[in-house]
Amino acid sequence: MLDVRHLTKYYSAVAAIRDVSFTVAPGTIVGLLGPNGSGKSTTVSILTGLREASGGEVWFNGSNVATALVEYKAHVGYVPEEAHLYSFLSGREHLQLVGRLRRITEPLLTNKIAALLELFGLMPAADQSMSGYSKGMRQKVLIMASLLHDPDVLILDEPESGLDLTAGLVLRHLIPILAARGKIVVYSSHLLDRVERLCADVVVLHRGRIVAHGPVPQLRAMIESSASLEDVVAELVSTVDPERTARDIAEVAALRP
Amino acid sequence: MRADDGQTIRLLTRLFVRRLLDNDLVSPHADRHDSLGVVYAVVLSLAVFITFFVSTPYLAAYILLPGPTALSALPDRFLFIAASLSVSALAALLVWDALALEARDAAILGPLPLAPWAITRAKLLAALVFGVMFSVAVNVVPSILYPTFLTMNLRGVTVVGIGRLIAAHAISVIMAGLLGFFAILAARGVLRLAFGERGFKRVSSGAQSLFVVAAVTGLLLTPTISGQTIREWVAGTVASPVAAVPVLWHLGLNESIAGTVVADAPAVMPRRLSMPAWMRRDDEEHRAGYRALRPNFEALARWAWLVVPAVVSLAVVAFVWNNRRLPEQTAALRRHSPARTALLRVAQRLTRANPEAQAGFFFTLQTLARSGPHRMIVAISIAAALTLPSVLLVVSSAAIKGSASPLPLGLLAMQVTVQLVLVAGFRYAVVVPAELVANWSIRMAWPGDERGYLAGGKHAALLAAIAVPALVLMPLHVAVFGSVVGLVHGLLGSLFAVAALDAVFLGYRKVPFACTYLPLGDPKLLWSLGGATLLAVPYALASLERSALTSPAWTAAFVASLAGIVLAIKVVDRVRRREPQPLDFDERPAPPTQRLGVFERMAVDD
Repeated sequence: MLDVRHLTKYYSAVAAIRDVSFTVAPGTIVGLLGPNGSGKSTTVSILTGLREASGGEVWFNGSNVATALVEYKAHVGYVPEEAHLYSFLSGREHLQLVGRLRRITEPLLTNKIAALLELFGLMPAADQSMSGYSKGMRQKVLIMASLLHDPDVLILDEPESGLDLTAGLVLRHLIPILAARGKIVVYSSHLLDRVERLCADVVVLHRGRIVAHGPVPQLRAMIESSASLEDVVAELVSTVDPERTARDIAEVAALRP
Repeated sequence: MRADDGQTIRLLTRLFVRRLLDNDLVSPHADRHDSLGVVYAVVLSLAVFITFFVSTPYLAAYILLPGPTALSALPDRFLFIAASLSVSALAALLVWDALALEARDAAILGPLPLAPWAITRAKLLAALVFGVMFSVAVNVVPSILYPTFLTMNLRGVTVVGIGRLIAAHAISVIMAGLLGFFAILAARGVLRLAFGERGFKRVSSGAQSLFVVAAVTGLLLTPTISGQTIREWVAGTVASPVAAVPVLWHLGLNESIAGTVVADAPAVMPRRLSMPAWMRRDDEEHRAGYRALRPNFEALARWAWLVVPAVVSLAVVAFVWNNRRLPEQTAALRRHSPARTALLRVAQRLTRANPEAQAGFFFTLQTLARSGPHRMIVAISIAAALTLPSVLLVVSSAAIKGSASPLPLGLLAMQVTVQLVLVAGFRYAVVVPAELVANWSIRMAWPGDERGYLAGGKHAALLAAIAVPALVLMPLHVAVFGSVVGLVHGLLGSLFAVAALDAVFLGYRKVPFACTYLPLGDPKLLWSLGGATLLAVPYALASLERSALTSPAWTAAFVASLAGIVLAIKVVDRVRRREPQPLDFDERPAPPTQRLGVFERMAVDD
């Protein structure tokens, strides 16, 4: 069980998130939604242990992760939003580095890497420097690295970014399979239809606070006229009239000297 | 060209110059002005220190005669010119990748409605501006100080004469600097032309490292060249080495512009002193010796005037041709040789017992060989490791001639010097992050205990900085000392280097190549101490070793003592690392107010 309790994070005096609390049970996929600057990435980075919270706690299987961060990270697989990788390494070398640091024995690691590279269609480029990889190829490396150690918690931040159609489809099938095997999955994305289809539970963040939390049908019920999750989120977090803003943007773009 | 084209090019040029000055990959938190200030202060204070050091004989002399001064200034000028050439070449090598249009330039600027020629032109202008700025900035202060100090006690030189000497010095060293910078740009361009885009990607890092080794070796060897040798090279009585030829051209340029300001100056003695006849004769002889070289200076100067514009033109033409199109992001196809694959398999088998050590071992070798800043550090270390033994060989060959001992100290100290220089380079390299933005992957997978990973990193250093040099030098040692003494000597040196490697990592509680870079606490003290240690320790060890090698019993005792030291350091290291410490991957340097101790003082006042 992943239990997020009253998380708060300040950057200087500015609060990025305030009092964020939710729980994810094993076998559940939770979607994190919200507009830019809503605090999704900050929440994700605290959940991964890469950033310290100013207040609040994250508990995993009954223990506070702050007291045993390294042990907690051993259970976490993470796909970050930005595909920052050591560009002078090849895809295979990166996976070897991560796997070895995660103390996976050599024969198992070699077999896993070979199988994953084959399944993700990256074998032909496996030994080339990642400086020449496309965004999608880097994203595949990130996904493979997050799965190498069979993590109990999978935190995915825009995991489909840059992926081709086939790889995207594979990922969409993979996530429910992993959840069915008892993994905790946190899925942060802007793609509302993906979240709607994959996630049992949705947390909607706006200006650093949770504005809605619950299963998608329950969120729909909150706003009686809503037909889709997109409408629910728009209703909850939008401070502007999208149609009017779009018209204004078109007007500004049309300005000429 | 329209007016707004000019504005665009100016804007792009500023952007590219900033890119040449910035190093956002090492420290995103760094203040560019702060970093530049520190770098410039270091370069300038070194230049001023060398100028004072070189000028000491002229400043300290009570009686300074024009003839001897004209001749003794030649090696000084040779040193200034060689230093300007090498340092400017190194500056170009530091920004090697940014000297041409990069894939990220294409990614950012490509979608904008800019003509490719405008981007190419701006990049070229930025390289030109950077090269000229660097050469002028490095040389301006020594150009004023050295001629002033040189003539301070030469009472017969006029103010106009001093001005001419300053101009001559400035023109020659700045032109040498331009030659160094643009020779690298031209070499890069020619290599790119010869190998094509893909081929160049394969040879680029090797060529860069080779040029760094050459530039640093040249820089370090220059002070060992005597004035007599330089005079013989200028006179043509002894053929000069190819590497010294460009320096001699600029020496000729300096002397031809300066004219005979010093050599023809009247010899003025201090008040109430008259010049003895022998002194006058000596002065005249030196003046004659200098005047005899004048025609050669003129001939050398002509080459300088020809070569510098030719090299700049070659660099520009190659640049324009190579960058006529925006670069494409292409994957460098790597075909591994069977030998490399086999070696890799052996290394994997040998290190498979501990996955973290395996990670440390391979990541260390990959970073040192492939990451730009690390390749530079390795190349500089190799250059220093090549130069110091060369000097030691010269010293020891002189000592062999005059000494009855079959084990000259210089030769005995050589291996340890090489290994210690490489260990010092490695120790510095580990604190420079490989790619800071990518260190999250190590942070996420970090097992919480640095011992295994660090041990792997040290094994890589053991292989690259200790075992390889010992093996390379082994044939020389066997040839000079005989097989048994040669082998024992190799073992002793390597044992000591292992102890040094463990010792320099005793207090290190971070993750090599993955933490933010923190500048040295007290660079002046640490660099001086490090330099003194690198010179003194190998000699002290060689002296002990020479005594120990006199009998088998003593040799065994010496080997046992060194092994004991290695063991003791390893035990201390193990004890110190028993308690795991929390790691801060993102530690930042103290802000300037803290460095000044202001906060502490405020706390005391409160």
